Amino acid sequence: MSATAPAVTTVSRASSVFGAAASTDHKRIGLNMGLASLVFFLGGGVMALLMRTQLAQPHMQFVSDATYNELFTMHGSTMIFLFVTPMAMALAIYLVPLQIGASSIAAPRMVLAAFWIWLSGGIIMQLGWLTQEGAGRSGWFAYVPLSNSANTPGVGQDLWTVGVILAAAGLTIIGGCVLATIARRRAPGMSVMRMPVFTWTQLVSALMVVGSFPVLILAMALLYAERLGAHVFIGYSGAIDYQDLFWFFGHPVVYVMFFPFLGAAAEVIAVNAHKRWFGYAAFVASMLAFAALSMSVWSHHMFTTGGVTNQYFAFTSTALVVPAGVEYFDMIATLIGGSILLRTSMLFALGFFLQFLIGGLSGIFIASPVLDYHAEDSYMIVAHFHYTLFAGSVFGFFAGIYHWFPKVTGARLREGLGRLHFVLLLIGTNMTFLPMFFLGNYGMPRRIADYPSHPGWGTLNLLETAGAGVIALAVATFLVNVVVSLRHRDAAGEDPWLGHTLEWATSSPPPRHNFERALPPITSYAPLLDLRQRAADRNGAAMTRVPAGRAGLGPTPQEDAP
Amino acid sequence: MGLGAPTGLVDTRAEYQHVFDIYVPIAIGVFALIVIATLLAVLVYRRRPPERAARWYEHDRLEGGYALLLVATVAFLLYITFTAEHRVDTVAARERPGLVVNVTGSKWEWHFNYPAYGIDLYSGAVGRQDLVVPTGEAIRFRLTSVDVIHAFWIPQLRYKHDLIPGSVQDSTLTFSRRGVFAGQCAEFCGLLHSDMIFDVRALSPAEFTTWARSQQAAGGGAA
Amino acid sequence: MRGGAIPLLAWACLLAVLMAGNWVWTGDAIQVGAFGFAVLVIVLAAAWLVATHRGAIRRGPPEPPPPGRAEAAPDLSFAAVLAAIAVASILFGLTWAYFLVYFGGGLLILSLGRLALEVQAARASRELHESRSLPDSAEQERGP
Repeated sequence: MSATAPAVTTVSRASSVFGAAASTDHKRIGLNMGLASLVFFLGGGVMALLMRTQLAQPHMQFVSDATYNELFTMHGSTMIFLFVTPMAMALAIYLVPLQIGASSIAAPRMVLAAFWIWLSGGIIMQLGWLTQEGAGRSGWFAYVPLSNSANTPGVGQDLWTVGVILAAAGLTIIGGCVLATIARRRAPGMSVMRMPVFTWTQLVSALMVVGSFPVLILAMALLYAERLGAHVFIGYSGAIDYQDLFWFFGHPVVYVMFFPFLGAAAEVIAVNAHKRWFGYAAFVASMLAFAALSMSVWSHHMFTTGGVTNQYFAFTSTALVVPAGVEYFDMIATLIGGSILLRTSMLFALGFFLQFLIGGLSGIFIASPVLDYHAEDSYMIVAHFHYTLFAGSVFGFFAGIYHWFPKVTGARLREGLGRLHFVLLLIGTNMTFLPMFFLGNYGMPRRIADYPSHPGWGTLNLLETAGAGVIALAVATFLVNVVVSLRHRDAAGEDPWLGHTLEWATSSPPPRHNFERALPPITSYAPLLDLRQRAADRNGAAMTRVPAGRAGLGPTPQEDAP
Repeated sequence: MGLGAPTGLVDTRAEYQHVFDIYVPIAIGVFALIVIATLLAVLVYRRRPPERAARWYEHDRLEGGYALLLVATVAFLLYITFTAEHRVDTVAARERPGLVVNVTGSKWEWHFNYPAYGIDLYSGAVGRQDLVVPTGEAIRFRLTSVDVIHAFWIPQLRYKHDLIPGSVQDSTLTFSRRGVFAGQCAEFCGLLHSDMIFDVRALSPAEFTTWARSQQAAGGGAA
Repeated sequence: MRGGAIPLLAWACLLAVLMAGNWVWTGDAIQVGAFGFAVLVIVLAAAWLVATHRGAIRRGPPEPPPPGRAEAAPDLSFAAVLAAIAVASILFGLTWAYFLVYFGGGLLILSLGRLALEVQAARASRELHESRSLPDSAEQERGP
């Protein structure tokens, strides 16, 4: 948005460890945050494997009940506070300034400080493993009174609480900075309605972060006071109040963990179909409605408490069908008429949409209180949210990685290994999470360290454990792919995929201040596609044109192109 | 409705099944439709030269019409859900119970108290006694907890409700057939959460009366 | 910058409608309070954007910056990292080792001092650049 003066160099610019750790370059911070979250992802994955081993057969006692409780608490906390949410934010820190043609992120020092606050929180949370009583062990939502000092004594739970406060504080600040970046630093010509689809998804996520994460910090601060002996959450109303405060954060966060990956998958689909994303205006409107609705559904986690008005929350939760349906309509309409290349990123993006669908449809199911009275706290819920977060967000994350890896590193990931990674992950995911729907319906509650040997339960659980092994294999394949692709580089150049958005109009990786050449004219949400189409028209290439006169089907948007 | 409940009492299992039978086929249909449409689009438009990609990019009327269809679907689903929820939550609460059982959760044990008979039963980490109930009668469970939140779940009835310290909440349930069904705590409640289980033994009303008499004779039910 | 506050206000309106629904339907103080907080934060953020730049409420694409205007971009900020570590040590100290609270407090003061120096140096560098480069500002009109 504004010209950039030579940097004020406070220390001679070092490529040293200190330089990488204290850099205010949004790309460096984004990369650091992405790498740190990836490490937490691997850690959380190991916890999941330990749990699946314990549950492979009834009465295994591979780990103790106490350890099992720590494992599922820390698995959930790690994946939500330290992997999926921060990974979505890391994508925002790295890509949003590039997509809107900015030279830097707004308030880079704040972003840098927020990254370190978040990382300290993550480390402090994990330090609980070293304490005598063990790590946090009252579930990732730490309901009172279970999480108070009488029922869960020990430093581990304190460290968990403080860790969550710090992680959430860091994420809140980053959300605010992303919001400020989008509001204030768009390049000349980029009106709000020309922002890329991915940037829009990050914008609505940032709105939700800023509106809901402070409530978590409040809830955790009150919980901490409660653990120190203050009587904050008293009796029945105290228990309900805690749940209201927690889920006012806890439901929006699942959409913060979803929207950015939806945006990533949408970009990947549009680029690999060589066609701009369909229904932009409807998409934007539905994203705003989606985000507003998802701020108002939280008490569907509390249908069985008798303390909330179930109808209101059933209404808002079911209403999510409308914006979600619009996204799917746009996805299919983008594919139709395109010229589709099934690169690895595209496979993951399609996998994201089709597998998330199972999570989404089962979400409508449990939005009905009558159905939720059975499904709540059973493995049906576990299946549902793993289909949204793992089969959804993680597939969207991998789609984004295969898509933007060349931009970040300058080298492409291997397609062969990528396809193997995709197939393994697809098989592993469905092997692990599909049987959970059936187990839940048969009556298996979540968070149990052992289960009765009812007929069929052992078999289904064994299948899930095997599936978890396949997922581990898939993740290992991905890591091998990264190492191989960085060792033997397949140089990508500026724009390996015929991208649509501004991040593809600069070198890979981009220079310190992102763009050294003049930006292309920003004529729509896909400026580079506009350029290519205009060039093709000038060259008189035969272009497929939709017959004129069909309602709403126009040619390339060119309003006030310079 | 009152599907499958010969007595006319609210049968939570039947209500669940009724809603399930509407929701799940719609969900499977939508899933199949979207998967087929996506895969067809990918197959048909695969590997054409990029210049041949179409340039149209919006159709507000079509999309608006589709959104209206979604709104109608939401309205239909909510109608189904709200009528069933009304029966499970409101109509059932108005029924005259044939039996009242006080259910108290504690770490990690269930305490079932029959005030009309003076019977106390316990099940959980320390031992297992069955919750014994008559069939075909509304049973009012008065749910509370002494320490942390637990949840009273009988999968056979497709119903659970939380036990929250500081409150006593009523759930009115009916067992429509005889048998032994599993029950357990569904809300994570600490170290031995997985051991907080019980069995429900549903007897015919006559059998139940006999059982209750014998328990009383044995002196308050230390079975 | 231009139009930056519009999505925020649009979203705050949607949220306010849902809050009103919640108020009427549930009447639950803590739920309406949480909702109200979220609406308030977003409205305040939008108000701040408009206050710092009136164009934030106007439709249309952002304009190019005025010629000759420069922006200082720091490359490194140890102050920011130290401040973050200071905040983390204070909270960590509360749970585990109380001396870390003092250590974190000291570190926080140090890092804020250092931050003031960094900001001052950045401003000096920007002013120097602007005073020097007015003639060749055309080069920079489009931005980075």
